Amino acid sequence: MPFNGKSGKFNAAIRTVEIGTGDKAVKLGGENVLPFYTFDAPIENAPKVGVMITDLSLEEMENEAAGIKEYYAGATSFAELAKKAEAMPGADFVVLRLEGADPNGRDKSVEDCVAVAKEVGDAITAPLVIEGCKNVEKDAELFAKVAEALQGKNVLILSAREENYKGVAAAAGLAYGQKVGAESAVDINLAKQLNVLIGQLGVDQANVVMNVGSAAAGYGFEYVVSTMDRIKAAALSQNDAQLQMPIITPVAEEAWGVKEAMASEADMPEWGSQEERGIDMEVETAAAVLASGSNAVILKHPTSVATISTLIKELV
Amino acid sequence: MALKGLDIFKLTPKTNCKECGSPTCMAFSMKVAQGAVDITKCPHMSEDALATLSEATAPPMKTIKVGSGDAECTLGGETVLFRHEKTFVSRPRYAVSVSCCEADMDAKFEAAKLVDYDRIGERMHVEMLYLNYCGQCDAAGYAEFVKKAAETGRVLVLGCTDVDVAKAALDVCKDAKPILDGANAGNYEAMSKLATEAGVVLGVSGADINELYDTVAAIEKLGNKNLVINVGTASIKDAFANTVQIRRAALKNTDRTFGYPTIVNVGRLAAGNGALQAALASLFTVKYGSIIVMENMNYAQALPLYGLRQNVFTDPQKPMKVEPGIYPLNGGDENSVCLTTVDFALTYFVVSGELERSGVPCNLVISDAGGLSVLTAWAAGKLSSTSVSKYIIENVEPKVKSRKLIIPGKVAVLKGDIEAKLPGWEVIVAPNEAVQLVKFLKDMQANGEI
Amino acid sequence: MAKFVVIGERLSTTAPAINRAFTSRDPEPILKRAKEQLDAGATYLDVNIGPAENDGPELMKWAVELLQGNFDNVPLALDTANKAAIEAGISVYNRSKGKPIVNSADAAGRIEYIDLAAANDAIVIALCNGEGIAKDNDERMAYCQTMLERGMEHGMEPTDMWFDPLFLVIKGMQDKQEQILECIKMISDMELNSTGGLSNNSNGMPKHIRPIMDSAMVAMAMQCGLTSAIVNPCDLRLMETIKSCDIIKNNTLYADSYLEL
Repeated sequence: MPFNGKSGKFNAAIRTVEIGTGDKAVKLGGENVLPFYTFDAPIENAPKVGVMITDLSLEEMENEAAGIKEYYAGATSFAELAKKAEAMPGADFVVLRLEGADPNGRDKSVEDCVAVAKEVGDAITAPLVIEGCKNVEKDAELFAKVAEALQGKNVLILSAREENYKGVAAAAGLAYGQKVGAESAVDINLAKQLNVLIGQLGVDQANVVMNVGSAAAGYGFEYVVSTMDRIKAAALSQNDAQLQMPIITPVAEEAWGVKEAMASEADMPEWGSQEERGIDMEVETAAAVLASGSNAVILKHPTSVATISTLIKELV
Repeated sequence: MALKGLDIFKLTPKTNCKECGSPTCMAFSMKVAQGAVDITKCPHMSEDALATLSEATAPPMKTIKVGSGDAECTLGGETVLFRHEKTFVSRPRYAVSVSCCEADMDAKFEAAKLVDYDRIGERMHVEMLYLNYCGQCDAAGYAEFVKKAAETGRVLVLGCTDVDVAKAALDVCKDAKPILDGANAGNYEAMSKLATEAGVVLGVSGADINELYDTVAAIEKLGNKNLVINVGTASIKDAFANTVQIRRAALKNTDRTFGYPTIVNVGRLAAGNGALQAALASLFTVKYGSIIVMENMNYAQALPLYGLRQNVFTDPQKPMKVEPGIYPLNGGDENSVCLTTVDFALTYFVVSGELERSGVPCNLVISDAGGLSVLTAWAAGKLSSTSVSKYIIENVEPKVKSRKLIIPGKVAVLKGDIEAKLPGWEVIVAPNEAVQLVKFLKDMQANGEI
Repeated sequence: MAKFVVIGERLSTTAPAINRAFTSRDPEPILKRAKEQLDAGATYLDVNIGPAENDGPELMKWAVELLQGNFDNVPLALDTANKAAIEAGISVYNRSKGKPIVNSADAAGRIEYIDLAAANDAIVIALCNGEGIAKDNDERMAYCQTMLERGMEHGMEPTDMWFDPLFLVIKGMQDKQEQILECIKMISDMELNSTGGLSNNSNGMPKHIRPIMDSAMVAMAMQCGLTSAIVNPCDLRLMETIKSCDIIKNNTLYADSYLEL
């Protein structure tokens, strides 16, 4: 009796969301199978890889790993930085994280941040994703201005949260025609609720992407796996329209912020190269979130970007 | 695995003869499914039907044991495809591959032992060695190599399709219960005989998923059900497709021919590319690999991988706990400030990570809080002024001179009671969120408070 | 588990306005009532054209095309004693949103409706009765078995047969209600699907009581494993109960706004 591999194709599908414009625009989602299950049905839009730079990248490049410093060497403006990011082998889109806006940190003004975003947006043709500083009030103010300044570029604003979704989603999704990221922290009920609420504001659900939270591998990652598994199950097998948005996962911030990536070689001689530790933490976390259902990941090290992009090409 | 009433009903004669005592065959099937009545109460079940039923009640995926003594590993035995459905039972095991004619094999054996550490009570190390037979060496040479590998104490996987060579190797290592990964469509009869006689698990390979299926079925027909399935190295895409389809066929479609653990050789799928191997190892840890073979295993690859495995394979019903104790951070000593939190592993990792980022020398004091998060432990009475003060008096006071204790912001309400129960101590309330600890500690340090 | 399937019952010839609209082929009242039911959360709409002895096939085709054309291929239950009308309806039916439901077969005179459903890859509602109402659950399950066998012989997936235990009116058959629940439980234990005209239980009760009784019945029946019901989706209390039960049974994922979805 030959093997009968019953197809696990679903009748429902993840929505397709396009970010960016022109030839380099990327499509996220669209699949009606579990991640990388191309043997069940073709996956038209392979998961995408974003390269993260921040508004502090120029001043703080010193603190980055050698491979990152080397890659961006010579860049003296955000425009140059962004061009290099977009040219990184394996990159599908660029992510600008405005971490300097944080009132508990540099507390940069909204105007300064918007100027950086504008400079980056004008310098590249690849799609752009804007991340904030995680302070909900500041982000609400910041995102409204950035969404306005980048009109016509179809950027993804990452992201609207429970506390500020009204302002952020209304500005990005309604007023300025950008894509809206809906962020929850490994809380599947909130992930769904936020999509409902954003939909009730009048934002077309075809313009919403979810960030359902992440963790570095080893740091409660089981919650990430189960959250994503359950979201995909609801979206595909229960045809839950409120969870059929594609998922984007920022990996770099988590991966490079844990002990395994931060402990110096002097402190942990037996662990070996600190840079390699950061790369492998980034790569393994990214592979695991992709295997669990992310339609896009955000990374920063050139080796990680190349590796994950190869992994995706091999699998899809 | 429970049988469904409908499956049983399909096998009944459907005559409603009532000889079993039930009014209809359907009612009878339901009672059998519930375990209320034995199937043999029906005098008209055919032999074939009974055989089908007994097959159907077997577990969907076999539990396979390899290795001996302390090195013994349990593979397979899974019942669900997703961890939230129940729990995964057998974590994947990592192997490093070595070839018999490699010049620096001793160095490779040593390198495979490099990673060895403890993480929340679990030993993290390379549990297996995958021993490639090059096809050129003679049987004695390979056996010699295997013998040397056995000295590492790791579980051996013999990657060898030559029956005579495999026999020589098994002669020197079979008591340690290695895996003989050598059966294919061409040699399975001889290989299966060899593995059965030696009492070891047999690995089965195939050109594609259909040949794999047919070969496993043929070996089962010979009476050998002590198997693992090698998903092959034709391409990353095929290896992933095979791994998922094998697991899904077994668990979802109850096709027991594929109810075996798998071997995935990511070292060969991404030869020479350590970062890609790390990505693949992570992928197959999340999705259904049982033995994952790498070219090497260094700390950079291992730290996230073993952490990931520990996360994904924890029982969702049981929280991960760290051992109670005093954990000095950033060179903390007896004069350094003490901070306390619960023993829930995630809390510990998040808090200790932030403390390390602060660079401020300190002692993180963990007492038994039932593996719950701060607020849950507090609500359950497992994190109380009594539990904290008792632990401090019994375990901390004899070792630490500092008398400053920082408690989690979420249980600020405990401050007064703890102070009352800990004479001589100053109790300080930390911020609500762990991320705020860095600034909090740095400020305290700058102000000379600690 | 899958979400509970609500089949809207309000497009029926038993309602004079709808009967007139069917007879005169007047789309307006039909579309209005269809929209009300869909807005209220119905998944399927039952299209009951009555016996339709004269113009059944033509009427059913007209109704199917009217409804599917206006409501994005809404899935339908084709409800008539005229077999030819059901076949005609299926011939123009678009199944992109779900298979058609043949309403209905039983274990006696209407057993051929199972063959019809099998031949057309449709779902069939299978009433657990033969000639007259079954006297107990042994008899109901015997009918169930007869129909299940018939369907499997004709190549149907068992899950495409939705067994109807036949809800009984409380005023008059109060002592039989637990039997019906037990019957649902048995169908569910066999991993089969079930449905039925649930609000029959409250027939003859004062108008303000009926939603309360229907809600209680649906909650208890869902706990026993009922997977669908033919009801009035415009009954808000009933729909809220169904949505809440779907959450408790983990058929849909909870979000604070679940009642609005």
